[in-house]
Amino acid sequence: MSDSAPSFNLAETVVKWVDVGIFVLNKNFEVQLWNNFMAHHSGRLTEDVVGKNLFEAFPDLPKPWFTKKVNTVFLLNNFAFISWENRPYLFRFAHNRPITGGADHMYQNCMLLPLKAEQGKPEAVCVMVFDATDTAIAQNLLKQALETISEISNRDGLTGIYNRRYLENRLSSEFDRTRRYGGTFSMILFDLDFFKKVNDTYGHLAGDKVLVEIAARVRDKLRSSDVIGRYGGEEFVLILPETPLDGARQFAERLREAVALEPVIFDDTPIRVTISMGVTEHHAGMPGYATLTHQSDIALYASKAAGRNCVTCYAPELEKLAAAK
Amino acid sequence: MNLAALTNDQHDALQELTNIAMGQAGASLATLLDEFVDLSVPRIRIVAVIDLPPVLAELVGKNNLVSAARQSFQGYLRGEAIIIFGEPGCQALADLMGFEGELGEHGETELLLDVANVLSGACLGGMMEQIRKFTETTGSTELGFSMPSIMARQVMAAQLIDPGKVRWSHALLLEVNFTIQNRNFIAHLTMLMPEDGIEKIRGIIDEFIAAF
Repeated sequence: MSDSAPSFNLAETVVKWVDVGIFVLNKNFEVQLWNNFMAHHSGRLTEDVVGKNLFEAFPDLPKPWFTKKVNTVFLLNNFAFISWENRPYLFRFAHNRPITGGADHMYQNCMLLPLKAEQGKPEAVCVMVFDATDTAIAQNLLKQALETISEISNRDGLTGIYNRRYLENRLSSEFDRTRRYGGTFSMILFDLDFFKKVNDTYGHLAGDKVLVEIAARVRDKLRSSDVIGRYGGEEFVLILPETPLDGARQFAERLREAVALEPVIFDDTPIRVTISMGVTEHHAGMPGYATLTHQSDIALYASKAAGRNCVTCYAPELEKLAAAK
Repeated sequence: MNLAALTNDQHDALQELTNIAMGQAGASLATLLDEFVDLSVPRIRIVAVIDLPPVLAELVGKNNLVSAARQSFQGYLRGEAIIIFGEPGCQALADLMGFEGELGEHGETELLLDVANVLSGACLGGMMEQIRKFTETTGSTELGFSMPSIMARQVMAAQLIDPGKVRWSHALLLEVNFTIQNRNFIAHLTMLMPEDGIEKIRGIIDEFIAAF
């Protein structure tokens, strides 16, 4: 055994070379040990740092917070941890993935360990610094991918505006928000007039072009907080936050004009398109957002009954008209 | 394997072990939070994992939301500690950050993780200390802890743990009553362990009983 024992201190050498940052602080925050990982990444050699106060050697460290963290380990005689998810790093080190990384610093997990004799109180704290850059990058990519998926699942494939799934969620959350914090919002439901005739006369590709073009025209007129989505077939919904009924009606009128003014061109053929619109506003006491959908539907029906290419605001007496249809 | 319930004597002994172990936890938390913290005598029991969702739902309130942190431990005992805070607990900790200038720098998550880490460290570390003092256990009784992480935020208590996905069948369940800044709230510490770990604890309890 003695013949094969190495001529150097095993533990010391391992600590020196292990691919984890290891340093030790005494109660005065003087560095007692500083391994190669720390030296190589910080550019500060072991002999340059050992014996110095950590915060004097590294003035950029978050001193009050880290002091408290280390003191807690001394006092509680318990492990402590720092996660990159809460604080990206303790030391701002460059990382070694300049090409594949997309991060400009090393993400770090840290573990703080009280060092003591068998039954004694901690005399020093060992800090281990783990490179968590790979995990952080993978997690960020995953997050982006999930955001993309969620964005795609909220979009209508043909027109690129929101789909019915998103509209329902958004109406529901807008309804809850208004009920909780006050304010108001309006909803517009509109429908292309005689859309079946467009499909029958010019073909379904022409119909698709009309849907895309009308969606784009309306979207271009929206404020950033407004929402447009395709409710189904040739039906569209607009959600206008912080907009009372009269504002919504004027806005609907402008949209109607914008659609009716210019025909949609398909294969050099101009196709005349008009829309019929129903407008309603949120009111305190509405049982749920479905009431808004119902009211805008009633108003839309009234626009159709009035000869199409027009805007109608919901009023209770319109219900009779719809019931008689 | 189906573990028989603890006898009354065993339960009393386990309760006693936990009391001593958690005695220091209040002081530790006060140090961590810079606030007076009162921890009442914890209640402890062994629960089959399959019963955890209804038991937790009953303890926390069926429709109440909870947040939880998890931390694994290994060594003399191995397993996973889950520390569960109900809405009042999270609120109290969040408010604490608002009052405390220096803690304000902490993220709320970091504070939750710190408190979880101190709780599981105090509970398991304290237990190990009692084992060293009072039993004939030979060999290393050391425990190592891994980094804690957030397990869930704002979920229904009954949905926190899916027994179908837990490979271990029993857990130690510890209920801790906190008082911070005159506000009372309860945190639950759940320690999931493989069967041999639970049996080990039963052995320790029996030795503990024999020592007195």
